[in-house]
Amino acid sequence: MGKKRGGPPRGARPVKSKPCVFCKENIAYVDYKDYNVLRRFVSDRGKIRARRVTGLCPQHQREAAVAIKRAREMALLPYVAGS
Amino acid sequence: MLIVIPELDEEQVESTIGRFRTIISRTGGESEDPNRWGRRKLAYEIDHRADGHYAVMRFTAGERTLMELKRILRVSDDVLRHIVVKLPPSYAHEPLPEPAEISG
Repeated sequence: MGKKRGGPPRGARPVKSKPCVFCKENIAYVDYKDYNVLRRFVSDRGKIRARRVTGLCPQHQREAAVAIKRAREMALLPYVAGS
Repeated sequence: MLIVIPELDEEQVESTIGRFRTIISRTGGESEDPNRWGRRKLAYEIDHRADGHYAVMRFTAGERTLMELKRILRVSDDVLRHIVVKLPPSYAHEPLPEPAEISG
């Protein structure tokens, strides 16, 4: 063995817990019509960003994903961008 | 929310929206004044069209209204896309959000 166990691995950043933006602003319903807000949660390619990137809580990440899909259906957000 | 084809002018769009409001009221629903976003660029082409007239209507509906409205929306040639969304009860009485940006 000889390998040290436990503790943060070398090079890993300390995890900072940041409150979810929707929780912080007390938004209960993520609206698909607010495409400018939703745009923050998609990549340049138009893909939905992962929770570890968006920093959303599970509930709001799920709601945001649904809202993004609705916005895509109504051509407010692209399915594929920058191709 | 519905997207009306860009070929129509303001008046025709108005009458199209009016048509759906009549359907809602005729079948026992109640509709608020529609929120017109105006002509907007689409994020992607639909049927070789790059833009469309957006309108958001908020209404109450029973099953009959919903079925009739969805059927007519589907067969209307002047409606490019539509979506009917049930609002959560907490959100239902808040004022309509203003459209963020409107392009010519």
